[in-house]
Amino acid sequence: MGTVVEVSAGSFQKEVLESDVPVEVDFWAPWCGPCRMVAPIYDKLAEEYDDFKFCKINVDENVEIAQRYGIMSIPMQLFFVDGEKVDGLLGAVPEEMIRSKVEEVVARFPTDERGRLKAILTSWVGHNKQDSGKFRRWTDIANEIKRDAVYRSILEAASEMEKASEGLTQLLKQL
Amino acid sequence: MEQLVIAGSGPAGLTAAIYAARADLAPLVFEGLTPGGQLTVSYEVENYPGFAEPLSGMELMDRFRKQAERFGARFGPVAIERVARADDVFQIQTSDNPLETKALIIATGAQARRLPVPSEKRFYGRGVSGCATCDGFFFRGKHVLVVGGGNTAMQDAVFLTRFASKVTIVHRRAYLRAAPIEVMKARKSPQIQWMIPWVVEDILGDDVVTGARLWNPDSHERREVQCEGIFVAIGHEPKTEAFKGLVETDEEGFIVVDPGTTQTSVAGVLACGDVCDRNYRQAVVAAGQGCMAAMAVERYLGMRE
Repeated sequence: MGTVVEVSAGSFQKEVLESDVPVEVDFWAPWCGPCRMVAPIYDKLAEEYDDFKFCKINVDENVEIAQRYGIMSIPMQLFFVDGEKVDGLLGAVPEEMIRSKVEEVVARFPTDERGRLKAILTSWVGHNKQDSGKFRRWTDIANEIKRDAVYRSILEAASEMEKASEGLTQLLKQL
Repeated sequence: MEQLVIAGSGPAGLTAAIYAARADLAPLVFEGLTPGGQLTVSYEVENYPGFAEPLSGMELMDRFRKQAERFGARFGPVAIERVARADDVFQIQTSDNPLETKALIIATGAQARRLPVPSEKRFYGRGVSGCATCDGFFFRGKHVLVVGGGNTAMQDAVFLTRFASKVTIVHRRAYLRAAPIEVMKARKSPQIQWMIPWVVEDILGDDVVTGARLWNPDSHERREVQCEGIFVAIGHEPKTEAFKGLVETDEEGFIVVDPGTTQTSVAGVLACGDVCDRNYRQAVVAAGQGCMAAMAVERYLGMRE
């Protein structure tokens, strides 16, 4: 995208949490020697990647943000996707390690339309599988309650959901 | 084929670079994983000659680097992985392409030792730190331990009193090897307490550090201490992995040089700074040795032709 974006408490929400692409945030401070080693690596990466945003934030000037993410040691590099912290790198690690972490995040959180749809559906279907399993166990135990109208409707709706989930699973295979 | 490769960019490596560049040897400097070396985490350097006003380690090393650049020293990819010798040529393996050089100066220095307790790795960055100047900021109003008995430990403890409400120095021996002036500064501070001789046996906590279990080597008593941070300053190990098998090293990994010189066991390979100096470990000594190494290379290359 060009260059590393300097963010602050004021711009964090918009630049990092509301970003459409995965974001890396480099927590640094002017007195921190090792932080200076990491900065040029991100300058380089910022020029190379189009679908990845690289930011940095001065913890001295933005204490609340540093506290919010539990920063206790710098340099600390956090990775955000869709407003959530998904990974991190602690310390002044070598370039190869940073590159492979960025690539890892790219692979786990695709930004192309199809890739995103796939990721969303996969997590949806995955959740459903988990929950429907739990649900079935509950119904097995609570057989009596089928007499109650609300519970009957819930059980019906639940089996519709299972059908939909099966359908989506099949479609996912085609994506 | 390079004339000279310098491994390391602390005061030893950069001084060697200044002298070698001025002598038209076109040195190629590998900065390593911590460009500038150990001094870059030093908040205040007040004993480097020529600087009546203290300055930060980073600032000092910036000046060294600028001077080396001025004379044409080149800086290469990060770190050297391995060096092999083929007759009188040295083959250098890096994360980039391999290269060859006629002479090599080893100035890779030393790296801080980690605390050898079971849960150290788990809490590194979550309360355990090796850099007081980097991380002291995050322990405002808290209680921290500083483990160690040398100059670094004393300096770190004094520095940390800016942030921490209480600093406890923990050292396994009653004897502190730190310079008297540094010990005195630490003793003067009402915020600094002393637990010597005690050893950190393990670190306690869940997601972050909440305390440590200490053991007294004299009384064999065990005690749990509540704290939020543990700063480790227990010494350094020479960085000589890449040169094993190339030159002679002693049992602790320090490169062996002819006394009073920078000459290693191999002609064409010189060593300077903390990687071979276990006695002084001062920036000005490292710088002096860097100069010696560069001059020795100049003579060596002159004789080769």
